Amino acid sequence: MSATREVIQPRNPALNVSKNLKLPHSPGIKCGDFIFLSGMVSVDPATGQRKLGTTDSETRQILENMAHMLESAGSSLAKVVKINVLLHSMLEFENMNAVYREFFPTDPPARTTCGVQLSFGLKVEIECIALA
Amino acid sequence: MASAREIIRPPAPGLDMLAQFGYPQSAAIRAGGLIFCSGMTALNPETGEREHGTVTSEAHRVFQNLKLLLETAGSSLEKIVQVHALIYDRLEYDVLNRVYRQYLPHEPPARTVWSVTIESGFKVQIDATAQA
Repeated sequence: MSATREVIQPRNPALNVSKNLKLPHSPGIKCGDFIFLSGMVSVDPATGQRKLGTTDSETRQILENMAHMLESAGSSLAKVVKINVLLHSMLEFENMNAVYREFFPTDPPARTTCGVQLSFGLKVEIECIALA
Repeated sequence: MASAREIIRPPAPGLDMLAQFGYPQSAAIRAGGLIFCSGMTALNPETGEREHGTVTSEAHRVFQNLKLLLETAGSSLEKIVQVHALIYDRLEYDVLNRVYRQYLPHEPPARTVWSVTIESGFKVQIDATAQA
C-alpha cells in the first residue's frame, strides 16, 4: 500500500510564504511517517514580510516559525530527524549554533550546514525532515 | 502509530561532533525505517583531528567514517538511498567521483552534488540517508 501525500499549511496564514508570494512550492508535505518542509527563511509572523537581520535574529525567527509550521501539522521540533542549514557565510557558523542550541537542547537532529549564496540578502535558510 | 525517533551515538570518540566541537547535532537519527546521518567531514575517528587534505584524501576518510557509522548502526554503504555530496569547488567533481565509485560501485544511491563553502576549510562533506 502506498502512503498518502498531503500538503501541510501553517495555522498562521502570514507564514504561508509560498502561497502569499505565489511561489511554486508547498510549505511542507506529509507522506508516510514523515513531514518534509520547504526551506524556511526569516519571515515576520505578524506581517508575512521577509525580516532581514543578523544571522542570530534570522536563525531565531526561522526556528520559531518552523516550530509553528510543524505544530500546525501535528509534529514538533522535538520530532525533527534531519536539518539542512544554509548560511550566507560559514564565518557565521558559531553565531547560528549559539541560537540553534536553544531550540534543540537535547538529542538534536542530524544536521548538515553549508555556506551558499541566498536570495534577497537573507543570511539563513533552514529545511527539515520530521516525524509526522 | 507514531514512529520512534532514536539517536545513533557516534561510533568512535573522534566522530562525536558535540564533544569535539560543541556542534548541536547528533551523528545520526533512526526513524521510520531510515537512518539520517549528519554531514560528515574528514575527521580522525580516534582523535577528532581535522585531516585537511585533497578532495581524494578527504573523501576516502569521509567514506571510511560513514561506513563505520552505518555499520555500527546496523546498516551499510550498500543500503544508502540518498546522498548529498558537498564539495568546495565544482572543478573537483570528477576527482570526487573517482573515489565515490570505489565505495558505491553497484546500483549507487540517488545523489546531488553541491558546490558550497564547507565548515573549517574542508573540501568534502557527505551526508547520507540509508535504509535502517
